[in-house]
Amino acid sequence: MTSHDTRTRQLPQGVGRLTGPWWAFIAIASAVLLFGVYAYWRQASGGLGETALADTGTMGGATWGLYVVMVEYFIGVSFAGVAIAALARVFHIADLKPVTRIAELLTVGSLLVGLAAVLIDLGHPARGLWHLLLYARPQSAFFATFTLVGVGLLLASLVYLFLGGRRDAAIMATYESRLNWYHRWWASGYTDTGPERERHMRAMFWLSIGIVPLLVVSLSTEGLVFGLQVGRPGWFGSMQAPDFLVLAAASGVANLIVLAAMVRRALGKAGEAVESAFPWLGRILLAAALAGLYFMVVEMVSLLYATPADERLIAEALLTGVYAPITWLSFGLMLIGLAILTRLAAKRAWHVGPLVLASVLVSISAFAERYLTVVPSQTHGMLLPYEIGAYFPNWLEIAVGAGLFALGALLIGLFIKVFPAIPMTDEEEVSAHA
Amino acid sequence: MVKYAMAVDLDRCQGCRACMESCKVENNTVQGNFWMYVFRFEEGTYPNTEMSFLPRPCQHCDNAPCVKVCPVGARYKREDGIVLTDTDRCIGCRYCEVACPYGVNYFNWVEPKKAQYPVVNWEDEDLATVTSGAVPPYRNPDLDELQGPEQRHTAGGGHAKGVMEKCTFCVHRVDKGLDPACVATCPTNALIFGDTEDPDTPISRYLAEKRTWDLLEDAGTEPRVHYVGGSPPTHARVEIERPKARA
Repeated sequence: MTSHDTRTRQLPQGVGRLTGPWWAFIAIASAVLLFGVYAYWRQASGGLGETALADTGTMGGATWGLYVVMVEYFIGVSFAGVAIAALARVFHIADLKPVTRIAELLTVGSLLVGLAAVLIDLGHPARGLWHLLLYARPQSAFFATFTLVGVGLLLASLVYLFLGGRRDAAIMATYESRLNWYHRWWASGYTDTGPERERHMRAMFWLSIGIVPLLVVSLSTEGLVFGLQVGRPGWFGSMQAPDFLVLAAASGVANLIVLAAMVRRALGKAGEAVESAFPWLGRILLAAALAGLYFMVVEMVSLLYATPADERLIAEALLTGVYAPITWLSFGLMLIGLAILTRLAAKRAWHVGPLVLASVLVSISAFAERYLTVVPSQTHGMLLPYEIGAYFPNWLEIAVGAGLFALGALLIGLFIKVFPAIPMTDEEEVSAHA
Repeated sequence: MVKYAMAVDLDRCQGCRACMESCKVENNTVQGNFWMYVFRFEEGTYPNTEMSFLPRPCQHCDNAPCVKVCPVGARYKREDGIVLTDTDRCIGCRYCEVACPYGVNYFNWVEPKKAQYPVVNWEDEDLATVTSGAVPPYRNPDLDELQGPEQRHTAGGGHAKGVMEKCTFCVHRVDKGLDPACVATCPTNALIFGDTEDPDTPISRYLAEKRTWDLLEDAGTEPRVHYVGGSPPTHARVEIERPKARA
């Protein structure tokens, strides 16, 4: 066997090797996605009336439901990915570098899924895309979702992922494989010479600095979608934007930890490189979750102490009424997650198992918080004395939502088989050129 | 320049809901959609109770939150003060609905023509003797026409699945010099409509004579519907006799 053949069979980090567990993962994710597509087909043909959504007011429903919750959740998750990658590059934090690609991938994946949820929620998805080009109104806070987030942030994140991967693509292109064309395309002429590498590092540094303000501004507009609505008790307020960002940071880092742990497990020995990032990610999650809890407590105290008359209905529904189980579940999960993280921090031993558990709890808590932001202000937030409304997603919405999760999982699952999930080390580069 | 407004005299309103019926017939709105809605309230404890009524059309606000939030300009305000929805442009995001504090927006959740009044068996022989076999939605050619100087498709309801609709002040009638259907139908003249820029119109004279208040003044929406008599509603009032509007 020649060294040429050896390189053909052994692309690093399991790239190109389709294992049994990977096929099982793809099969399950595809099945969930297909069921979601079926559910959406029913919705597209029958109308949004197939969902549990209904008009506010006389119909006593919520016109924005699970899909908008998912938009807010996934766009929030996208925050942490690029932010962590930028942090690692700007401050040269070597321990975080192994997770930079996973982080960038998480941002791109969650943005795609979040934007898919936007389209799924529209009464006229195709018209939505077309009319936004023809008639867009920048005065609408929703406009920023389509431009700053949908185009600006997504494109910037893709460019970030693309440029950040060029060096690895150039190394991968030295291997003879069926994916060689793809790696050569990605490297796009980059050969990792000294001057090239210097230019590459400089470009990534400035891109990292430039992308963070874009991230903060565009994600703040997601909070403003709600915070600017003076006629909707529970929404109007200047704290919606920072609240959105804090929860976005917590849910994003939590998802990054879970994803990094999955990649570590999937890649075996090659995946161990990400372990250096866990203490950093754990500490960042601890800080973000603490801030998230702070916002939760401040909100609860405000509701309990000095609720304006119009907000009292929502406060009661949240704290003791129909939404109380979700409120206290969210609060409790955040507390338990924080307790685990605090214990890990005190022991300075960031074991992956408890860290992932804490991340899952924080992530579920953040999702529940998004639900509590979107829904109660519609069912209980009418300023005129309509009857109290009700909303709970039906099977179709849950199936479409699960399909969106599966879409994100599939994108990431496919990516790690065509490109290294962890930036290649100098040792891997040397072995590639051996 | 003409500026349309509506006055609602609560001292005259008897809560008969004829305005709701005429609105539905005029605009072909789908089941459960009430562009004009009349609250029937009860306050107090038996036997010391008091009933009151509150007609609630779209308020056609001068500072309309629904117009502000529309990402494509499908919801817009005409120079004459009427707030309309261009159903050919609406993308169905429903942001206008969550932004509106009055709850006047209705989304077409399903294909309107298929779902309109499905609870009624229109083939019933007894019913056919009354309806002469006609089945709603009744065709009203005015609703298919483009309206106003903008020439946009704004009149009537039940046009398409996945778009938002609401009270248009019966723009197709107003552009012909007629009153909105609810105003024309009201048996007690509780609803008065017209141009408030002209001091000699009935509504201008009426508003000049009476003390008025606006619905949810604190919301800063500057409605073009002004109320006379009665008092602003509070959550202490219990709504009774709700129409079966829910799906």
